[in-house]
Amino acid sequence: MTQVSLKELTKVYQGATEPSLDRLSLEIASGELAALLGPSGCGKTTTMKMIAGLLEPTSGDVQFGGRSILHEKPEKRGVVMVFQNYLLFPYMNVAENIGFGLKMRKVDKREISRRVGDMLSLVKLPDLGSRRPSELSGGQQQRVALARALIVEPDVLLLDEPLSNLDAHLRFEMRDLIRGLQQDLKITTIFVTHDQEEAVVLADKVALILDGRLKQYAGAEEFYNRPVDEATARFFGGQNFVQGHSDGSRFESALGALDLPEGAATGPGKLTFRPENVRIGHAEASRNRLTASLSDKLFMGTQTRLKLRVGGELIDVVANPNEVAGISNGDELKISLPPSSLWVLAN
Amino acid sequence: MSDRVKIFLLLLPAMSFIVLLFFGGLAIGLMRSFNYMPIIGLLEPNLEAYFKIFTSAEFLRSFLLTFHIAFTSTVISSVLAIGAALLLRRQFIGRAVVNFLFQLNLTVPHLVGAIGILYLFSQSGTFARLAAEWGMISRPRDFPVLVFDPYAIGIILQYVWKEIPFIGIIVLANMQSLGEDYESVARSLGATRWQAFRHVLLPLIFPGVLSASVIVFAFTFGAYEIPAILGANYPAALPVLAYRKYTDVDLAARPEAMAMAIVIAVLSAIMIYIYVRYTRRRIRS
Repeated sequence: MTQVSLKELTKVYQGATEPSLDRLSLEIASGELAALLGPSGCGKTTTMKMIAGLLEPTSGDVQFGGRSILHEKPEKRGVVMVFQNYLLFPYMNVAENIGFGLKMRKVDKREISRRVGDMLSLVKLPDLGSRRPSELSGGQQQRVALARALIVEPDVLLLDEPLSNLDAHLRFEMRDLIRGLQQDLKITTIFVTHDQEEAVVLADKVALILDGRLKQYAGAEEFYNRPVDEATARFFGGQNFVQGHSDGSRFESALGALDLPEGAATGPGKLTFRPENVRIGHAEASRNRLTASLSDKLFMGTQTRLKLRVGGELIDVVANPNEVAGISNGDELKISLPPSSLWVLAN
Repeated sequence: MSDRVKIFLLLLPAMSFIVLLFFGGLAIGLMRSFNYMPIIGLLEPNLEAYFKIFTSAEFLRSFLLTFHIAFTSTVISSVLAIGAALLLRRQFIGRAVVNFLFQLNLTVPHLVGAIGILYLFSQSGTFARLAAEWGMISRPRDFPVLVFDPYAIGIILQYVWKEIPFIGIIVLANMQSLGEDYESVARSLGATRWQAFRHVLLPLIFPGVLSASVIVFAFTFGAYEIPAILGANYPAALPVLAYRKYTDVDLAARPEAMAMAIVIAVLSAIMIYIYVRYTRRRIRS
C-alpha cells in the first residue's frame, strides 16, 4: 500500500501560455480510492500521466510514501494506468494481453499462465482467454484492461474515465466490480471522471479540479453540504444562491432573516442550499419558515422539480411528487429551510 | 441498363489498356520465351530458352546479385525509415524543416540520384578526391570501390537514399494515427522503452512497414536503370542481363531474354511471398 502525495504539481504544455495544471497539491492515503473530478480539459488526465511518469511536470513533485519518484522511469514506479479507451493490444488475444506485464518482467511462462487464469476468474471472464479484443464487448474489454493492470500487482492504480465508454447497465456492474476489487486488494487507486455521481459513488475522497486548479478535496458529502465556492456548488448540482449578509448566526437577504448553522462564514456572501433539502410545509418545530408561490412545476417521475418565488428570489426545490400533487402555478405554499442545510459562501 | 452493365462499360476503357498492354505484352513475352517466334522461323514451342538460362552460371550469379540488392536495400531502408519516423513524430524546434528535407528526395528521379552517387562515391568522385586531398589516401583511385563494384554497394546506397523517405512517410503516418497511448500503456505495465517498441509499436506499424517494403523489394528486384548505371559489368543484375540479351544483334537470343523477363516476374512474386512470410513470422515470434 502506498501513500501518494502531489506537491504543487504544475504542467505548462509547450507553446501554451496558461498552465493545464496549476500547483495541484493532494494527499491520497494508502489503500484509498480517490477521484479526480472535473470537466474535459481541466487537467485530470495530465495529472494521471504525470503520476504514471508518462509526462514530465513543469514543476512540483510526486511522492510515494514520502519519497519523490519523479526521477524514476514509468516502468519502475509501480504505477499502472488504465486508459479510457482500454487500449488492448489488438494483435494479442485476451490471455496474452493480461499476461503482457508479467512477460515484460520475464516471469516464467507457466507462472504467467497460472496468474492469467486467476485474473480471468477475478474479473469474471474465465472462458475468454483465447478471444481477440475485437471479439469482446465494451464491458468485457474494460475488465480485460483492469485484469491486465492488476496482474502486475501495482502499488498505485490509475483509472482514466473507467466507466465513460460503457452503457448504463454496464456502468453499475463495472462500478461495483472496481469498488469491490479495490476494497479487496487495498490498492491505492486514483480515477478520473467528469461525472460527479460516479465520483461520489465510487470514491472515498474527491478532488474537484476546475481550469487546472484544485477547488476542493474532501469526502463526497462535503461537496453537497459545504462547497468552497459557487462554481464547486454548481458542479455538484447546486442551483440556489442568494446574495446577502451573514453575522455568523443569521443571514439577511431577500428571503428574510434566516438562522444559520454554527460556524457559518460572516460578512457579505451568498447563501446556498440544495433543492432537495427544502422542506415542503411548516412542521411544528421547524425554523426558517417561508411562504412561497409556485412559478413552475416539472414532474420527473420519482421527483418533481419546482421553481418557487420567495421575496423576489426564484429558488429551485426538489419535492416528493405526492407532496405537491395538488398545487399549480401561482399557488402559495409553506416551506422551511433547516439551518443545517444552509451554507454561506463568503464573497 | 443494369448497374452491372454500367460498371462494365465504365471500366472498359481502363481495362482495355491493361489487358492489351499488360496481358498482351505478357502473352507475347511468354510465347517468345517458349521459343515461338514465327518471324525468325521458330514455330515449335519448347523450353529450350528456360533450360539455357537455368543452366547458365551467369544467370545464377545475376539472380543472387539481384536478390542481394533488393533484400539488402529493402531491409536497410526499412530499418532506417522506422528510426527516422520515430524521431520525426516527436515535437522539436525545426521539425517542419527537418520533415521537409526528409521528404525532399522523393521528388528527385532515380536517374538523377544515381548520377549523384556516381559523382560522390566513384573512385574519381568528390569523396575520393577529398580523401586524397586530406591525406587519408595517397591518390583518388585508392578510395574503396563503392560504384561498379561486385557487391553493388553503389546501387544499394542509391536505393536506400531514395526509399527511406518513401517507407518513412508511410510509417510516420501510421505512427501518428496510432498516437503514443499504446506505448504508454506498455510502459505503465512495466515495459522498457525498447520493449514497448519491440512488443507494441512494431507489431502495430508492421502492416504499413510490410506493404511499403514489399513495394520497394519488388521495384528494386525488377528495376533496370540503376544497376545499368551503377552496377558492375559482371555479374550484372537480372534486368540488365535480360536487356542485354534482348538487344543482342542475334535475334535468336531473344527467347532467352524473354525467358529471363518471365523468370524475373515469377521470382519477384515468389520473393515477395517469402519476404512477407518470413518477416511476419519474425515479428510475431
